[in-house]
Amino acid sequence: MKVSYFETGRYVAPPDLPRQWPVPSGAYDPETGAEACRHMIERVRLVEELGFDWVSVSEHHYSPRILTPSPVVSAAFLAAQSTKIKIALLGPLVPVGNPIRIAEELAMLDAMAPGRFVFGLLRGTTNEYLSYDLNPKEARERTDEGMELILTAWREPQPFGWQGRYFQYRTVSIWPHPQRPLPPTYALGTSAEAGEFAARHKIGLGVSYGTFEVMGKSTAYYRERCVHYGWQPGPDQIVYRANMILAETDDKADEMLANRDKQAPFPVAPGLRDALLRADTTRNIAGERRPANVGGVLPISFCGGPDRVVEQLRRCRDEIGAGVVDLSLADPGTGDVGAMMHALELFGTKVLPRIRDI
Amino acid sequence: MAQIDTPGAAFREGFVEVDGFRIRYMEAGDGPPLVMLHGAGGFSLTRGHDLLSRQFRVIAFEMPGFGQSAENTRTRDVPELARTLAAAAANLGLDRYDLLGISFGGTTALWLALQQPECVRGLVLAAPAAIGWAGRPGAGSPEEMARRLYAHPERMPLPPAIDPAVQAKQQAFVARVRGPERDADLEAQMRALPVATLVLFGTLDRVIPPEMGRHYKELIPNGHLVFVYDAGHAIAVERPEAFADVVGDFLERHEAFVIRRTETLIHP
Repeated sequence: MKVSYFETGRYVAPPDLPRQWPVPSGAYDPETGAEACRHMIERVRLVEELGFDWVSVSEHHYSPRILTPSPVVSAAFLAAQSTKIKIALLGPLVPVGNPIRIAEELAMLDAMAPGRFVFGLLRGTTNEYLSYDLNPKEARERTDEGMELILTAWREPQPFGWQGRYFQYRTVSIWPHPQRPLPPTYALGTSAEAGEFAARHKIGLGVSYGTFEVMGKSTAYYRERCVHYGWQPGPDQIVYRANMILAETDDKADEMLANRDKQAPFPVAPGLRDALLRADTTRNIAGERRPANVGGVLPISFCGGPDRVVEQLRRCRDEIGAGVVDLSLADPGTGDVGAMMHALELFGTKVLPRIRDI
Repeated sequence: MAQIDTPGAAFREGFVEVDGFRIRYMEAGDGPPLVMLHGAGGFSLTRGHDLLSRQFRVIAFEMPGFGQSAENTRTRDVPELARTLAAAAANLGLDRYDLLGISFGGTTALWLALQQPECVRGLVLAAPAAIGWAGRPGAGSPEEMARRLYAHPERMPLPPAIDPAVQAKQQAFVARVRGPERDADLEAQMRALPVATLVLFGTLDRVIPPEMGRHYKELIPNGHLVFVYDAGHAIAVERPEAFADVVGDFLERHEAFVIRRTETLIHP
């Protein structure tokens, strides 16, 4: 099993910071922000030294919970500060972006540091659509079309136009063009649409945060569709992003879980949250309807001392089929950075060596 | 009386005599003439035809050997078929026109443009079969045809059933004249095609791989390739608005169609 550390650019928020999303920009403290970025460098070097396979970055907006609105900028920064660890962009939010720009920027990264990047493309959680003024009803279809366009821009050797539903371009011919075969690329999502897309294009699938049982449904659907398209994904082609609480002992980890903040660090206001939930009606897991996520508390999938966590990772491999786990070892936007560094070291020394053969 | 939403309801039937053939055509619309040639599955009018007839005088030929016309045992190959259709257009008084061919009709249209470039103002090849068409000519039950022609057959009405005798006649004709999967002579001539050409492929074409589009782009000097997202082989049926929009824009502006005209100003 491979392991990725989910880097969120930890901004240590003072207690008096407004707690509602969007968090006022005027409350941003440049010193704290600069420190958060410096710590990103420390962490990427630490996890590289500990033997983590990837460090991952994501796209989130308008709050200090995850201080990385541009995964491409984050990835370039981390790649320049490290030497061998792969940087996984999990990933650009396709429906709010310009797919050609995404295709170009990822290809540019690939040209700057060949073999160092992993690309994930996704729809994103519903609250993110507020940032760039996207109608939630259009997000699903814009994602599907945008991902198709990105892969086409990476594949086509001749200039082409695109007559889409949501995107129209008359001349596309990106430079740089990514290496062949493509860097490891994933569709990220639990929906039937994401599974179908990934299977049809023979790329990986990334799922996140749900229980092993529920995520297992999603990856089973993906594998079923892969068979339909005449291939089978390898273990590295299924990624599971999840939260982990790791301590020296099970008891200590359980105590940390019990004391965990039950509220999301920077939630949207209840009225807006309800309106978003009503507006985003196409969420599903392998075709089964499920409500949207609008920035609530995310579950803990792994909790315990090293022995128990190793056992949980083994179950994760069996039930989800994930050959890569992308881990957050403390809730983004909370907790103290020192404790998380300690958890990373504990993982690297007591867990990582024991899961390679899973 | 045809329902208003029946594709082709506004088209009028006509016939033209040429080369000993009595060629049927359907016509609608005003504006610059646009000659359209159908695919191997036979003549049909689509929403795409309807939309284009708002901008063009559309003349859609039924090629000899298709539909109710007699079995065509005389035409030897696609270049000869193209000459017959050029003569048919000339007999209708068309000396210069836009030309659009679909699939097998795309191969025919391409040959026509190569033979008589002075007659063709602009050329559109929709899912053309001139390069890399390895499959068998279009035939089958409506369900089979829908699965082959459409990206999303579940969203589309079934194509009309075709009389098996007509299907067999058409299939035999196409199989006889179609030419090789890669035609070196044709491809050499394409390098000197002086006509502005638009090539369309649906991103989910299951009859001819959309990757074939790149060859046209590489070969035709003023060639343009556009992918129609989420369409199968029958682009004009499945995404008629997208089809008519790009075709109309290209035929009006040729290579300048890459310059965006729609505005993004929200409020003045």
